[in-house]
Amino acid sequence: MITIELNGKQQIVPPGSAVTDLLSIIGSDEKSVAIVVNDEIIRPDKRSAHRLLEGDRVEILIFAGGG
Amino acid sequence: MDFLQLGSYTFSSHLILGTGKFSSATVMLEAVRASGAQLVTVALRRFNRDQPADDLFSPLRAVPGITLMPNTSGASTAAEAVRAANIARELSGSPFIKVEIHPNPQHLMPDPIETFEACRILAKEGFLVMPYIAADPVLAKRLEEVGCASVMPLGSAIGSGQGLATVEMLNIIIRESNIPVIVDAGLRSPSEAALAMEMGCGAVLVNSAVAVSDNPPAMAEAFAEAVSAGRKAFKAGLMSKSSLAIATSPLTAFLGAKV
Amino acid sequence: MTSLPDWLTYNRDSATLAAMLDSSLSTSLESLATESRDLTLRRFGRTMTLYAPLYLSNFCSSGCAYCGFASDRKTPRRRLEPDELRRELSAMKQLGITDILLLTGERTHNADFDYLLRSVDIAAHEMQRISVESFPMSIKEYRALADSGCTAITIYQETYNRERYENLHRWGPKKDFIERLETPARALEGGMKTVGLGVLLGLSDPREDALNLYRHVRYLGRTYWRAGISVSFPRLRPQTGGYEPPFPVDDHSLARMIFAFRIALPDVELVLSTRESAAYRDGMAGLGITRMSIESRTTVGGYHDLDNNEKGQFDVFDDRSAQEFCNAMRAKNIEPVFKNWEPAYNGPADGNSTILHPVKLQPCL
Repeated sequence: MITIELNGKQQIVPPGSAVTDLLSIIGSDEKSVAIVVNDEIIRPDKRSAHRLLEGDRVEILIFAGGG
Repeated sequence: MDFLQLGSYTFSSHLILGTGKFSSATVMLEAVRASGAQLVTVALRRFNRDQPADDLFSPLRAVPGITLMPNTSGASTAAEAVRAANIARELSGSPFIKVEIHPNPQHLMPDPIETFEACRILAKEGFLVMPYIAADPVLAKRLEEVGCASVMPLGSAIGSGQGLATVEMLNIIIRESNIPVIVDAGLRSPSEAALAMEMGCGAVLVNSAVAVSDNPPAMAEAFAEAVSAGRKAFKAGLMSKSSLAIATSPLTAFLGAKV
Repeated sequence: MTSLPDWLTYNRDSATLAAMLDSSLSTSLESLATESRDLTLRRFGRTMTLYAPLYLSNFCSSGCAYCGFASDRKTPRRRLEPDELRRELSAMKQLGITDILLLTGERTHNADFDYLLRSVDIAAHEMQRISVESFPMSIKEYRALADSGCTAITIYQETYNRERYENLHRWGPKKDFIERLETPARALEGGMKTVGLGVLLGLSDPREDALNLYRHVRYLGRTYWRAGISVSFPRLRPQTGGYEPPFPVDDHSLARMIFAFRIALPDVELVLSTRESAAYRDGMAGLGITRMSIESRTTVGGYHDLDNNEKGQFDVFDDRSAQEFCNAMRAKNIEPVFKNWEPAYNGPADGNSTILHPVKLQPCL
């Protein structure tokens, strides 16, 4: 297992996990989130190929209410 | 037909609705529908697996004729706002970005220097930039010059319900602007929205006044009607005011009798 | 034929002005005067800034039907050479004048851009503030003038009625209506700090001209928002050639127009020249007008060459001395201001340039 930082908290994922794997682990609808790994935006078409590495900083963002 | 023109986009509604502070997503969506708004603002937040219902993207997408305008709230510097804008565009697919940089969480007043810098960069990157600013006529012109699609001066502090406290400055901004002026923040009642439109605003952005009402959809509809009435009045041309004050000794006596 | 620009045909916010100009409506002249006086007092205080015109040359290549210097008039033609210009400047300084408007006719080889530039340079070494009322120039030429110490350009459209304009300007470069219309923007683009606009009252329907003049001011104000704008209200005066104005403007109508402009444009400098009588100018001081010419001579060399009795561009009506004029102002509790500019601030105003600061021009709302 490797440890990444997800939205500021520690998260354990199997080695070789792609971004899409992480999304299914946390139960997120893949269409309505933006994903940033180490300050780089990972577009939907790149998510299944983008493998996570030990210590990666991952941000998963959604739209919430705001004025 | 009278449109709100923002960049190459046109909207028949002159009301922009914010989606914060509602009691539930369901009520918010009802209010959006009732308002007839075609532009709605949303905020970018971290995904929280314990509260997946926070996500407004899919339900808002389901409302026909809606364009999302993400904001950069949470950013306290230009660099953070630019980063948030890029992430938001990725998610929304919309070129609109409401640049909102307020470093002080108490009064939420916008930082003019960071806002200007963020807008300069984002306009160059092809965003339709909508900056939330204090009602500062010079800043408004500077933002127009760097290519903003509109300026959004505050009527009064966010959520304060103080209405058009900045009316004198707003009048100057509207008079001097070549881009639509959108009053953002501070509106409490539909009559204030109507007044802003009568003054020549291109649109108004309302959130708290609708969200905290006892009946948000009804209040949204009331704002929509007020905005529409104010806009019609502006386009029709208001009657001029005349001064009733007349000097006791005539100022124009030197002209003599009119021949 | 080039079409008119949007800002001239787009009726955005001139309705209030139109209502004030309509003398048949209930807004009485006296109530306009009251509001105009109050605004003027608040914004400009009890002051009147003063300037005087200096005619550099009466050579001209245009045939303006109403002008004493039109190229078909028999008036002797001359221009001031550097020594004469210095004598003229010196005579003006003796009168206390340090804010001057340099004038020429339309561009000719006798008085071309280089001549004007040299004259500005000489004058800028002697005077506090230099304005120029001359022929239309390129942005580059305006920039060179600004570099030499000119801070303001006066350029009247004369009339915004295109058909009348083209008939009145019988020949010469001034015949091009659109070229003239675009000139103030070029002056600001070139770094001028202020432009002075106006129509020559009497040439065409004054109400139509006033509304279009207002639209021009508003357009320039929105686009060149750092710039100063002044508006003048010259009425046609008797001049050589005996042109009879087809749309004479009476004293009441002119007063209404001045008050209406003050109310519609509270921050704009409003100018009244010695074309008007002493009584009219004294009456208008404090009610709306904030800048007046004094001691005007409308002949070339009129300040130092006192024996010359040539006809000028027009007959001066208020021919009081600076002293007499100032006494009249002080009697009205108005301070005459001879210096309202510091040459340390001379030089092009780069912030005006829309090339440096691109503005999308679209009549929105």
